[in-house]
Amino acid sequence: MGNITYEEIIEKVADTVVRASTTFTPDQERAYRVCLAKETDPNACWVIEGLLENAKQAKEMKLPLCDDTGIPHVVIELGSEAQLPMAFLPAVEKGIAEGLRRLPGRPMGVVGNDVERITQSAGLSARSEDVAMAPIQLKNVAGDKIRLTVIMMGGGPELRGKTLRVFHKHSFEVVMDAMVEWAKDAVAKLGCQPVTLAFGVGRSNLEAASLALDAMKDGNFDVQSEIEKEITDRVNQTGVGPLGLGGRTSVLATFVKVGPQRASGFRVISLRTGCCVDPRRASATF
Amino acid sequence: MDITTPVSPEQIHSLKIYDKIRITGNIYAGRDAVLPKIVKLYEENRLTEKGLTLQGAVVFHTAVSVAGIGPTSSNKLEIESSILPLSEAGVKIHLGKGSLSRQTVEALKKNGAIFAVTPPISALLTAKMRKQRVAAFPEEGIEAFYELEVVEFPAIVAIAHGRSIFEKSEA
Repeated sequence: MGNITYEEIIEKVADTVVRASTTFTPDQERAYRVCLAKETDPNACWVIEGLLENAKQAKEMKLPLCDDTGIPHVVIELGSEAQLPMAFLPAVEKGIAEGLRRLPGRPMGVVGNDVERITQSAGLSARSEDVAMAPIQLKNVAGDKIRLTVIMMGGGPELRGKTLRVFHKHSFEVVMDAMVEWAKDAVAKLGCQPVTLAFGVGRSNLEAASLALDAMKDGNFDVQSEIEKEITDRVNQTGVGPLGLGGRTSVLATFVKVGPQRASGFRVISLRTGCCVDPRRASATF
Repeated sequence: MDITTPVSPEQIHSLKIYDKIRITGNIYAGRDAVLPKIVKLYEENRLTEKGLTLQGAVVFHTAVSVAGIGPTSSNKLEIESSILPLSEAGVKIHLGKGSLSRQTVEALKKNGAIFAVTPPISALLTAKMRKQRVAAFPEEGIEAFYELEVVEFPAIVAIAHGRSIFEKSEA
């Protein structure tokens, strides 16, 4: 880890925000190319070609992939033998703000007191950097490094996301069917297909949502588990297709994290119906 | 098909679902916060007070900011509920993304308007915008009612003349 300075942390985090917001990961781009090769519907191909061209332009010009630049979510994986530099978390917070300023992120921080923020009646800050980051997730991992991942989360997928208990009757199929049904309903309405689904299955609403975030951080478009493949395949049978125009690819991939479970007749599922640029993620190691 | 604003009833009549269009000219942009205010102006017959002409207009459901432009979900309550009154006011093309209800499909048909969708390809769409100005309600910031000048803005017709591309997948 070395003796990294406060300013170096800010710089590295800011760069991570910009990379997450402007760049497809290599596995994500490969998944789109595979999907384009499989599509026969000309309208579906038009959408996918547009998404790939948009990604190329965004990467080359360092422009946001989507104008809804999203809410920054940060996961820190702290190596058991690593030592946090002094003022690491304030530096991360500053780095996120600096990244939003450079991007520039959409200035959509809602200002005012509790009621004014809920009603949006006092308006928005004009500064990109005033979009506050979500609470940091901290994980214990092996090793002597600190790995920080930034995930930018836009609003459409939140509109079609859900976290709720399912009475599972101690059956895997019941949980699987619930995930597929939720996803079918959400995918039909989202408008930014093809989607990348992220699921967490946990003991509480908070834990399930945290697991879904973990799924977005670790999910790999190249390596899909049997559970992930089954969800993708079943939702793709709906034929919603890119942008809802019809086609084979409504879901590009599914990322699932199953956490510890409660001795009970219910499971808590959290779904993020990730849009066609999700997951906008990038990492830095200290 | 190339469409130049203001859009004529004849152009709308000739379009059908799945048609690809490219829009050139001045279009309006608005979303959740401002569209209900535009509807209110129309209902109170005060659009001209603000210098707004909605006859033959295109309304793009987007914010306008330093991060660019791109479609937001048109099925959000405040946006979808603006489609009927704004079509009555003369808007011919509502541009956004996401499926809309049968009620909205009928409202569009009754008023000779259509709904078109465009992918959230903000880096490309923003490059097609030549000018922008706030047309009304500047206090809404990125959600103000904007007038944009666009060139060959790409979209696909999703709802027209009572038919919707979304209804097969929601059946």
